[in-house]
Order: sequence, then C-alpha cells, then structure tokens
Amino acid sequence: MSNNVVNVSGLAKTFQVKQKAAGLRGSVRSLWRQEVREVTAVSDISFSLEKGEMLAFIGPNGAGKSTTIKMLTGILFPSDGQASVLGFTPWKDRRKLGYHIGSVFGQKPQLWYHLPAEDTFRLFARIYELDMGEFQKRRDFLVESFQIADLLQTPVRKLSLGQRMKCEIAASLLHRPRIIFLDEPTIGLDVVAKQQIREAIRYLNEQEQTTIFLTSHDAGDIESLCKRVVIINHGRLIYDNSTSALKRQYLRRKIIDVRFAEPLTEPFALPCVETLKQGTYGLKLEFDGREIPVETVVQQIMATQSCQDITIADPPLEEIIREIYKR
Amino acid sequence: MGQLRLTATKYGAITVTNLQNQLAYVWEALNRAVFIVLIMFVFVQLWTAVYQSQGVTEIAGLSLSATIWYLLIAETMELGKMRHDERISEEVKDGSVAYTLTRPYNYLAYHFFNGLGETAVKMLLVFLLGMPLVVYYAGWPTIQPQHLLPVLLIAGLAVLLDFFAFSIIGLLAFVTEDTFSFRLIYQKLVFILGGLMLPLDFLPAWLQPLARVLPFNLTTYAPAKLFVAFTWAQFWQILALQAIWLTVFGLVLWRQYRWASQRLAVNGG
Repeated sequence: MSNNVVNVSGLAKTFQVKQKAAGLRGSVRSLWRQEVREVTAVSDISFSLEKGEMLAFIGPNGAGKSTTIKMLTGILFPSDGQASVLGFTPWKDRRKLGYHIGSVFGQKPQLWYHLPAEDTFRLFARIYELDMGEFQKRRDFLVESFQIADLLQTPVRKLSLGQRMKCEIAASLLHRPRIIFLDEPTIGLDVVAKQQIREAIRYLNEQEQTTIFLTSHDAGDIESLCKRVVIINHGRLIYDNSTSALKRQYLRRKIIDVRFAEPLTEPFALPCVETLKQGTYGLKLEFDGREIPVETVVQQIMATQSCQDITIADPPLEEIIREIYKR
Repeated sequence: MGQLRLTATKYGAITVTNLQNQLAYVWEALNRAVFIVLIMFVFVQLWTAVYQSQGVTEIAGLSLSATIWYLLIAETMELGKMRHDERISEEVKDGSVAYTLTRPYNYLAYHFFNGLGETAVKMLLVFLLGMPLVVYYAGWPTIQPQHLLPVLLIAGLAVLLDFFAFSIIGLLAFVTEDTFSFRLIYQKLVFILGGLMLPLDFLPAWLQPLARVLPFNLTTYAPAKLFVAFTWAQFWQILALQAIWLTVFGLVLWRQYRWASQRLAVNGG
C-alpha cells in the first residue's frame, strides 16, 4: 500500500488577468474594452509526498509556489490535472480535508484582530470539534514551544509581527493536522523566533509523523527542516531531489576561513582561488573544487604560515538556489 | 445527536466570537445611536407635517403613529443587516479567504453565524435607542401580544432572505473582488421598492403590485407593516412569498457558489 499522502499529476492552473493601459485614457478605455491576458501560473507538475516527509517547495517570486499550495488545500480549482491529499480531492472535498490539514499563509491574518489569541484558539477548538481536555494539553504544549504564554491575553492588534506570527502558527497546529502547509511561515521573524518555530515543527514531524509542505525564501528554514527540495520556476518543476544532493550536485565551491598564528606579510595568491577577505591574521578564500582540489588549497595555505584554525564550508544554500533560478 | 451537538457548538462559537470582536467597535455603536435618534426625529417632523398638511388622520389605512412605528421597525431591519458581502470582498482582497475556505465548516454558514450575533445586537440597539423618541411622539405600539411571535418569524425570515441576497452579491467578489456597486444597486432597490423610506401602501397604485411580489419588500416592509397593522391574511401571504424567494435565492446561491469557487483567484503569493 502506498505511503503517499499527497499525489499530484499533471496539475496546471491558468488565470485570466485583466490588462489596463497606464493613465487616464487607459482607465476610460478599459470601461468598455476589457483586455485579458492568460497567465500560466502552474504548468503540468507532478510529484508525490510520503507520510512524515518534510518537503521544501521553493522557487523565485511568481514561480507558482503559492498557487500550488492553494490547489492542494482546495482554495483554487486547477485548470487541468489531478491531485489527492490524504485521499481527498482538495477542491471537491475541501470541508472534509479541512479537519486534517493546517495551513499558514505568510502574513495573511487568521486570528481575530481585536481579541486575544486565546479566544481564537478556543474558537478553533470548537471549529475543529476537539475534545476540550485534549485541546488544553495541545494548547499548553504549543504555548510552551513558542513561548507565547504572556501574549495570549493581549489583543492581536497590539502584538508585533513576530509575536503575531508565532500565535498564528500555533493556531494552525492546535487540531493535530496530518499535513501542514506552510507558506512563508517565518517571514518577519527574528532569529530566536525562527528557531523556536523550526524546533516545534521538527518535533511534530518526529513525534506525530506530521507531513510538512513548506515554501520559504529562507534557506535556514529549508536546511534545518527539509530533507527534500522541489524547485518550481515559471510554473514548471525544475528540480526534485534531496537537499544534500542539491548541494552536492550544484555546488563545487568551497569557502575556507583561516586564522594564522603570525601576521600575514604578503597577499595570499593562488590560481583559481579568489581571496574574499584578507586581514592581518585572517584569510577568507573561495574556489571551485572542480578547478582545484581542496587538499591543494589547504596544503598551500599551510605552507604559507602556521595556522591556528581552519574551517572549510559550503557557500549558503541561497547561492545554490539562485543559480538554479537562473535556469 | 453527538454530531449535531458538535455542529451547533461550532457555529454557536463562531457567533459568540464575532460578538466579542464587535465590542471593540464601541464608537460605531454610538454613531448608530446618534443616527437613529436623528433620523427618527426627522421622520417624525416630516410625517407630522404631511398628515397635517393633508388634514387627515390616516393615509392608506395607516395613522401617523403607525407610520412612525413602521419607520422605526424598517430602520431597525435596515441598520441591523449583515454586511458579510463586504467581509467576503475584504477576505478576497487581503487573501485571508485562504483561511476561511480551508476550515471544516460550510463557508456561507460560517458567514451567516458570524454575522448573526452582530445583527441581533445591532437591531436591539437601534430599536431600544429609537424607541423612547418614537414613544414620546407616537405613543406605545398597538401590536397584540399574540401577534409578536408571527412578526418575529417574518423578521427572522427577512434576515435570512437578506443574507441570501447579500451572499449572492458577496460571492461576486470571488470574480470581481469589489462588490460595492452591486451592493449599492441592491440597497437603492430596497430603499424604493422595499419600503424603507415609506410604506408600500403609499406608493402609486400602479407600482404597488410589482413592489409586493418582488423580494425587496420582504426584508423591510413586511415585518414593519405586520408590526403596525397585523392581519393573518397578510401574514400568510408574506410567509408564502418569503418561502418562494428563499427557494429562488437559495437555488441561485447553490449554483453560484460552485461557479464562483471555480473562478476564485486569491490575491498575493
């Protein structure tokens, strides 16, 4: 029996977008002559997701990420293709599917604006038909994980963006969803808040086998949460593989940070190696491992002077993704 | 029975939560208070002048007192209306429809129960705030106690009919985003053919039959007229018409919901 919780086959979505020329003349002309352009947001995408998998679904702005999530949550009807989420066709069984999925849509609000988050939590407990005892335990766990205990009695309109986002995400997790769709969940959050959210999501995945479908421009979200990456650009899937394979396949560049025991007396130079930064005691280099082996570079560095510390790292995931987006 | 209880609790919680949310709009409530007192004062002066200038005690079978009470009930119905078409439009514009559509409830039922508490409170507020002035000028209402429940039934069905009408308008937001113009047209039809500004009985004779069969009067004129001049014949006639229009609007809504859902384009990434 398939362990897939999401199956997508040939999914596509086109929109009719009204066009209007700039200026007053254009506005007046548009009153009787509507020009419409067809925009293909998603074109023939197919993929599957297993139970408990954590997938990063990424792409540049306008690539079709949010449109895909909206089709998988049943908000949008596709123009073509099929999808199944937990055995349901999302756009036909939206209400039934709603009991089993959670979603966070970036900065879109779901908490009641003038009420404390606690009131919305209680409302959700009723909407999702939760047992109140279980709801209380779940709520307490999420409140502790996100450290929002002292925010719960404050009207949401008085919270900062980061505080509100933590409450929003906690609200989406109250009913123990089997899949969570996270559309830019950490946008606007500080480093500490991001870490708290990532840890809570990772915990839910490990303990409850919650499947995670994440879109994010934050490489930290992707690296810390997702073992698999699917990249979409111009509405088409251009990559579908593990995060580590992504780095291995697309990245040969290395960054070396060196700390010397004695001051450097002359500039460090080696063919095929770029010096990013050189100080009195420190050196930062970047090179392509296909052009010059790592051991050669290290040997040259150690031959220059005695080293106190040497670190070899991959460049940020953003760089990899940026390279792929250019395709 | 268990599922029924869970469902009732669900929608009840939606009603109560929005009611709590509305308590933040104290200034709007005060505005409404000032408005109803002012408008009723203007109406009293206007119609007193009309009756005096005509030298009559009744027009189309309605006394001055009955006309004034009629206008208070009509304003109560109008000012208490759910504005959920605006809410649907805002949800589509700011993208939060992504949340309201993915929760395990009926979308339109959600909006109905969301607005229900607010509507009840608004109507009660308008009626109670306008009543002292109306009692002062027009005396106490003459409705018989045994007619109160039927009038409340008609008023309840009027709220439901209005909800259907504004839902049809609101769902257009799935396609057009902004529904202001449609709402404006509907409101003006209610003003003229719905009996908001004056009872249908005062309209020209050639217009009255048309106005009576159209749905607009069933949301405003119907409960107000029954309140001031109840007859069982008119009650059954109104009830039948409300049932017909509820069925018609209900069918339109049922078809439109699927049509609109397929065309929804949510703003933002």
